[in-house]
Amino acid sequence: MYKTFIIIQREYLTRVRKKTFIISTLLFPILYVGLIFGMGFLAENSKQNLNIALIDQSGYFKQVDLDRENTLDPSSKISLVTERATDVLKDPEAAGYDGFIRLPKLDWRQGSDQIFIEAKKSYGSGTTATVEAKLNRIWNRIKNDSLSIDENKQVILQASQLSIRSKNMDDASSNANIAEVIGYVAGLLIYLILLIYGSQVMMGVMEEKTNRIAEVLVSSVRPFQMMMGKIIGIGLVALTQFLLWIGFVLIVYNVSKASGESMSAATVMVGKMQQVFTGINVPLILFCFGFYFLGGFFFYSSLYAAIGSAVNEDLREAQSLSFPITMLVIISIALMSTATANPTGPIAVWASIIPFSSPIVMMARIPYGVPGTVPWWQLGLSMVMLVIGFLGTVWFAGKIYRTGILMYGKKPSWGEMLKWVFRKS
Amino acid sequence: MAELLQVQHLKKYFANQKAVDDISFSVEEGSIFGLLGPNGAGKTTLIRMITGIFYPDAGQITFQGKPFDPIHDVRHIGYMPEERGLYKKMKIGEHALYLAQLKGLSRSDAMRQVKIWFERLEMESWWNKKVEDLSKGMSQKLQFVSTVLHEPRLIILDEPFSGLDPVNSNLIKDEIHRLAKNGSTIIFSTHRMEQVEEICQQIILVNRGQKILDGTVNSIKQQYKQSQYRIGIPALNEAHLAEAPFELILSKENEQIVRITDGKSSNDVLRFLIDRSIPVHSFVEILPSLNDIFIRLVEDTPVTRQFQPA
Repeated sequence: MYKTFIIIQREYLTRVRKKTFIISTLLFPILYVGLIFGMGFLAENSKQNLNIALIDQSGYFKQVDLDRENTLDPSSKISLVTERATDVLKDPEAAGYDGFIRLPKLDWRQGSDQIFIEAKKSYGSGTTATVEAKLNRIWNRIKNDSLSIDENKQVILQASQLSIRSKNMDDASSNANIAEVIGYVAGLLIYLILLIYGSQVMMGVMEEKTNRIAEVLVSSVRPFQMMMGKIIGIGLVALTQFLLWIGFVLIVYNVSKASGESMSAATVMVGKMQQVFTGINVPLILFCFGFYFLGGFFFYSSLYAAIGSAVNEDLREAQSLSFPITMLVIISIALMSTATANPTGPIAVWASIIPFSSPIVMMARIPYGVPGTVPWWQLGLSMVMLVIGFLGTVWFAGKIYRTGILMYGKKPSWGEMLKWVFRKS
Repeated sequence: MAELLQVQHLKKYFANQKAVDDISFSVEEGSIFGLLGPNGAGKTTLIRMITGIFYPDAGQITFQGKPFDPIHDVRHIGYMPEERGLYKKMKIGEHALYLAQLKGLSRSDAMRQVKIWFERLEMESWWNKKVEDLSKGMSQKLQFVSTVLHEPRLIILDEPFSGLDPVNSNLIKDEIHRLAKNGSTIIFSTHRMEQVEEICQQIILVNRGQKILDGTVNSIKQQYKQSQYRIGIPALNEAHLAEAPFELILSKENEQIVRITDGKSSNDVLRFLIDRSIPVHSFVEILPSLNDIFIRLVEDTPVTRQFQPA
């Protein structure tokens, strides 16, 4: 135990003291926030400002109405064309338009689904939607006028709706929308950890082989202690990074709460977060996150350690050998999307019980509510299976590691590695 | 003297070869023991069993009079493998401390020992340097220190001088002698014979997984000598050579190297020379070097034997 502790200590300290750890810990939240805003910004800017000619054979549309809409939303311009219609039809760009809409003779009671923006280029739905919305606003007024519906009635027609959400009978406080977001984020975080820190374990083991320090170490400690020391040490690094991020969020949360009553953007956010936290079982989610994070990490990183021990310094060998394992992680994230969409479906239930996918999939289901969406038996079975699963992979990996760490030369195949596992010692 | 290590009928078979095939030997406490053999002879596998890295398929290892128990006995063994390395990014002082602690030393004991050894080998100023900044000789010194600083009873050095310049070689050689004088037992594994002759008292020679030679350096040389003498006399004429009780191997101006004919003794040679009034300036028996014996014994061994999975 003492020796394993010494190894854990070294693995942990050398990594936490590295500049890259500090930088990545600080940079990740910044990049993450930046990515979210950046994507919104890019989406906003990638829309095209269209100049569309409207050739109206129905006679419903008037330039005044179009002008009013054009000033309200300048992202596109629609103009009624009557005189030069044949020129526009022949070549809209020469006539100064990006494209044209040919409205056929219409009955206001029926409308039409056969209307196109015709142009030399094709436009995405994001771009055509603004044009569609404009014409429909005018179209609504035309319908209202024809039906003699006044402003008051219009407001009632628009505002009065039946909106339907899901409510769990066993768990009155659960909120499906918030649960979906939290589940998605938690699953995604575990996915990232498994890939990033799993490959760190693999690289760490490879480093010991390449440096030729492995044999020096195995004359002092058992290979199994070496492997576990590395896995636990790196797991603690990942945990530290997490605690720092959670701490960071809490500081931001408290600072903005303390910064006064003014209705700044921060206080609005704080209010929203409070709303989120009252709607879900925070201690349970945090506990489960810790459990699935550690369980999943042990499950996968021991496999990565086995591969690191089996290959030589060549990174490509390691990549080709670790591909099946990386695939398991990626399949898990695919199963997670199914699970967030339908958290009680059979795929969600089984994927959250089978160990290889349970860390990611179960984390996506838990925010929907325990025992409402996830019965206690499922959670318990999933946890037991994960413990059995990682004990199995650790045992399996330990066998490969023991042999692989002192092997130099040709890259072994999976078949040869299986032989190492089942050979008597 | 008591025996520190006893190896009896040790066997380790891999899938397609017998890496160690029934080897027995014993090492006396405080001696410097040579484990010789060509590449792929099974030396490393043998050492890995003695250091507890591999379990033998058959046979027994007795350490300090008791059956060898890898978990507890590794504390008393220091092993410097041939494939040896260090963590490049670690500081030298910390690295030595780390390896000492992995041997089971507490941090304070480790610190004390590292300081003693760093002082002895004049390495104190290196403490905060990184391993990657060390020259090959310097890192070899650090490796040597890491091997011995937990005061092991048994020190196993696999090719300890490979890549060392003569100055550092001598430094390590002196330390090996000093450690042996203070009671440590040293197993020295190599295929460099001239070093063995200099350092070791007793050797075994391993080839193709089997022991083919066992004894003191001197007794082995006696055993393999070929009745060759270096005689300080002028060159002999044809008539003398025809009737001499020896055959000439090499002739120099004032020195003749000869092999005595079977059945004759060195005194017969001297009598022959004196009877013919040939002035003898010197008369020395030539013992074969270990290198010659080694080559003679392991010739024609295929060099395809390599490490196979355990």
